[in-house]
Amino acid sequence: MTDDDTPMTDGGTDAEARTDGGPPATVPPDDETPTWSERKEHSSGLAQLTYQYFERSRREDEDLRAESTYVERDVLGFPTWPHETLRNLAITSFFVGIMILVAALMPAHFGEPANPGSTPAIILPDWYLYWSFGLLKLNPLNPELAVLGGNIVMSNELLGIVAHGIIFGVIGLVPFLNKGSARRPVEQPFWAAVGVTGVILAFTLAALAIQNFFPISLDLLLTLTFMLPVLGGILTYAVLKTMREGYMYDLNRRYYMLRPPK
Amino acid sequence: MSLKKQDEMDHNAWLKNQDLTVIETAFLTTLIWLDKRLRIVDYLELLETMYYRANLQMPKSHTEQYDLDNKFWYWYPLYSLGSLSIVAYLVAAVTGALLGFYYAPSTAGAAAQGDPTAAYDSLVMIMKDVQFGYMLRSIHRWAAQFMVAAVFLHMLRVYFTGSYKEPREVNWILGIVLIGLTLLFGFSGYVLPWKQLSFWAAQIGVEMALATPLVGEWAAQLLFGGFTLGQATLVRMYILHVFVLPFVVTGLIALHVGIVWVQGIAEPH
Repeated sequence: MTDDDTPMTDGGTDAEARTDGGPPATVPPDDETPTWSERKEHSSGLAQLTYQYFERSRREDEDLRAESTYVERDVLGFPTWPHETLRNLAITSFFVGIMILVAALMPAHFGEPANPGSTPAIILPDWYLYWSFGLLKLNPLNPELAVLGGNIVMSNELLGIVAHGIIFGVIGLVPFLNKGSARRPVEQPFWAAVGVTGVILAFTLAALAIQNFFPISLDLLLTLTFMLPVLGGILTYAVLKTMREGYMYDLNRRYYMLRPPK
Repeated sequence: MSLKKQDEMDHNAWLKNQDLTVIETAFLTTLIWLDKRLRIVDYLELLETMYYRANLQMPKSHTEQYDLDNKFWYWYPLYSLGSLSIVAYLVAAVTGALLGFYYAPSTAGAAAQGDPTAAYDSLVMIMKDVQFGYMLRSIHRWAAQFMVAAVFLHMLRVYFTGSYKEPREVNWILGIVLIGLTLLFGFSGYVLPWKQLSFWAAQIGVEMALATPLVGEWAAQLLFGGFTLGQATLVRMYILHVFVLPFVVTGLIALHVGIVWVQGIAEPH
């Protein structure tokens, strides 16, 4: 019984008793180890669904690639060094330089120390919050939104907050409403008009926030706040619709010169 | 069998056998030292594979295929607004760290209402006594203005070139979150000098928070440390401005840019 490989009474072999570590203890794959495809088949529920979806999407990818007429080319890119790096460095230093120059020419303003006892005549945030501040000044509109017996539905402050929610919500919904491959404003006059409306609204709301500086009545200012953006939107729509034909003709010519229709 | 532990791969002996320059020896020694601990060779191989996969062949991009380079370069400044906002963010971070050496977030020291507080005094000190302090504060403030402006213009560019469309909705929403956080950054920074306008801007903030249904009072407590403004408000705005927001915004910017990297730039048509 001196052979190392002879099984001993506990099921092991004499080889396991070696003290020098012996050969590396790798486990060779045998019939009982499931292959990857077997493992996949055994899985169930969500894991199986995930696997099935990945298989489908990979197949779809391969099919699309096979039937695509996409032109491949050897890379003729702009080299990262020095071209791209130097250009980025130039842009960055120009931008930082402009910032420092502006900071030197127009140093930051500094005011009186805080006094909880006296409210200043004009309270204003930084310019980039003017639109938000304008939304808080919509209280003249509040009675018009009332439905039940002339009681206002929400407090003036709440109206401002709801307006913020609506604006952020609408912006967030845009990619779910506007789909398709159109990219240029001429290709989608409606969405360009919506964008212009939004931009003008931001400016008119800012004007509403600093209403004290405008020598016109508040009613007129409120009307203009909402009419000007709509007017701007309609104008954009009309202009883009008019431009569209010529522009699309040009664009299509360039497309079809390179890629004639089948 | 020998009891002595054997080195299967005696790299040092192999190194000695080679005829190497000092630089090569140093490089290899460092590489071997690091590799024994971190297995970097595995990762190097991965990188190498990725490099060759990415660089052998690439599909022609839309701009190349339809010869739109002229259009693209003409609009290039608008396509760099995102990175310019990051540059402004970095400038604000550096100058902000320097300002943090001198700023004290405290309302102590006011004997009567309307007297300068410690926070206000530390700003006066920065502007009058610290070498280049006024310049530092101006640069910080203008970097913030530039960042907000660049972020807004970046959003407009993305909107009007339709770059938010179908596979990129997540990044558009992430961008909205980032704009909101940038504005919060600006607002919290505006409060810190504790001057009249800071105080009353914060007052409007508290009133807005309190007007929100359900979560309003809780939000006012969390952000402003109560319903009346004081020391707690200032410290909370300070921590928000120099600790919470920098981590959150930097992380989200990294994610934002990472998603652009993965999805590719939406090229102009």
